Amino acid sequence: MKKRWKIALTPVGVAITLAGGLVFAQMRSGSYGSSNATNIEQAAAPGFAPDAKYDVGPYPSLTPELAEGDGRQEVQSFCAICHSTRYITMQPPLPAATWDAEVSKMIKTYGAPIPEATAKKITAYLQGHYAPENRKE
Amino acid sequence: MERMTRNISRRNALKFLGAASGGLALANWARSGRASAEVPDGAKPLESFTGPGANPHWNSVGPYVMEPQKAPLILLTDRAVQLETPRHYFRTIFTPNEAFYVRWHLGEIPNSVDLAEWKLRVEGNVNKPMAFSLSDLMEKFKAVSLAAVNQCSGNSRSRMQPRVPGGQWGNGAMGNAMWTGVRLRELLDAAGVKSGSARVQFEGLDTGAGPKGLGSNRFMKSLDLTNAALDDTIVAYLMNGEPLPVLNGFPVRLVVPGYFSTYWTKSVSWIRVLETPDDNFWVKTAYRIPDTPRGTTTPEDVKAGKVKTIPIGRMPVRSFLISPDGSSKIPAGLGVTLRGIAFSGYGKVVKVEISDDGGSNWKAAELGEDHGTYSFRGWQAGWTPKTPGRYSIAVRATDEKGNVQPDEPVWNAGGYLWNKIERQELVAGKAN
Repeated sequence: MKKRWKIALTPVGVAITLAGGLVFAQMRSGSYGSSNATNIEQAAAPGFAPDAKYDVGPYPSLTPELAEGDGRQEVQSFCAICHSTRYITMQPPLPAATWDAEVSKMIKTYGAPIPEATAKKITAYLQGHYAPENRKE
Repeated sequence: MERMTRNISRRNALKFLGAASGGLALANWARSGRASAEVPDGAKPLESFTGPGANPHWNSVGPYVMEPQKAPLILLTDRAVQLETPRHYFRTIFTPNEAFYVRWHLGEIPNSVDLAEWKLRVEGNVNKPMAFSLSDLMEKFKAVSLAAVNQCSGNSRSRMQPRVPGGQWGNGAMGNAMWTGVRLRELLDAAGVKSGSARVQFEGLDTGAGPKGLGSNRFMKSLDLTNAALDDTIVAYLMNGEPLPVLNGFPVRLVVPGYFSTYWTKSVSWIRVLETPDDNFWVKTAYRIPDTPRGTTTPEDVKAGKVKTIPIGRMPVRSFLISPDGSSKIPAGLGVTLRGIAFSGYGKVVKVEISDDGGSNWKAAELGEDHGTYSFRGWQAGWTPKTPGRYSIAVRATDEKGNVQPDEPVWNAGGYLWNKIERQELVAGKAN
């Protein structure tokens, strides 16, 4: 142990120690495990027949996890008749009046077959989880 | 995770916990290192939503997704399909087909088109209704090609304050392609438009589960027959020299140069001449802008019922810095090249200027090759950050009609027409 310290104190040892310090000062290396370690699978080349049909197969379904709470079931059953519930999670946090107007537009303008009591529940759910004061994810 | 813990034995569970706490310790070490030395996590995921403030990112914040015939694009919604083009694809003047953004309105869109059955019909108030197969279009009419920008009316909607509901696009709901096809006027002439006709309506394969007669069932758009844009309009069967991806409107889509994409009907299958105004939802109610300068208004005026609206039309002038994009720190004194694109639906872009002090002083950038009035125009400018610090690079374009990109925001209930001057922060570090 004593011998090693002696080496470290020789001019060569000092030089090695300083060089080591310089390497550390110049770069930071060997760090892995970034917080975005995820991937998307590559798509295989499709097998086509030389006929008149131009088929690309199904589109991916990427339904988001909606916030837990009363009304979620109704949102999933009724809103998803026409569109993915990703339309909800894609929005910025919207004020209560805007959610009210959106649900009403879906019924009156687009003809969504939502009973009145259910519509109220859906609106309350959206206002309770996707507004500026309460949205979490 | 739940299933995993349930299946491991007690001994393994202890091992697992040991590894987990080791991992935690490492993570803490890395975190403390980050705090002291300001080491960034260069691949840290974005937040899952933005708001109620404006989206501060160039693109929207969704995850990447793999869709048929497409490169990984940014997901807005999966049904209807809405995908945004990542910023780096705008390094080229022509946006690759596989990276071109996607925006359908309704949920029931084609997975397959049978060209033995498919026809483009020209009908309504015409002397001789026609039905063209794709080979008819390819063989019986002269092919024309033109470069044109296709931009969603709601591109950059996530910038609006207050935020408005709708597709929360960043800047990537746009693309430029070389479109090849046949002139709309030739198809109309073949059918013979009767006198007294008012509008021409376009319908594609954008359909939904909603009740008949409502906007949730069929997507249709129309323009006045006298609209000069129709003289430039083509029915395109090639996009950058290749068939259109199904998600971009295979087999043919309408190309209305200078106009927002809402008129560029995908998989257009009916061209209908109308004698009367078009009162379908997508014309009468949707895609309308305030009849004010720049189409801007306020939530208060909308609420008070003061806002008269008109259908959206041409695209206001815009420009973008594409690279550098802020993902690299630039050593002070190192000369780099700022590059980007510009376009206008009102005419050719004639000037692009950049500022490195956020918009106080401007200097002209060099314009790239002219690919046509309605194409992206590339630009570049050399730039050297002389001293370390934070720089705000601003870019603004001017078109041949004298329209200059303004620095004031736009607000309207639809979230349309955003064209405020764009800014990018670039950080210059010490070089010694």
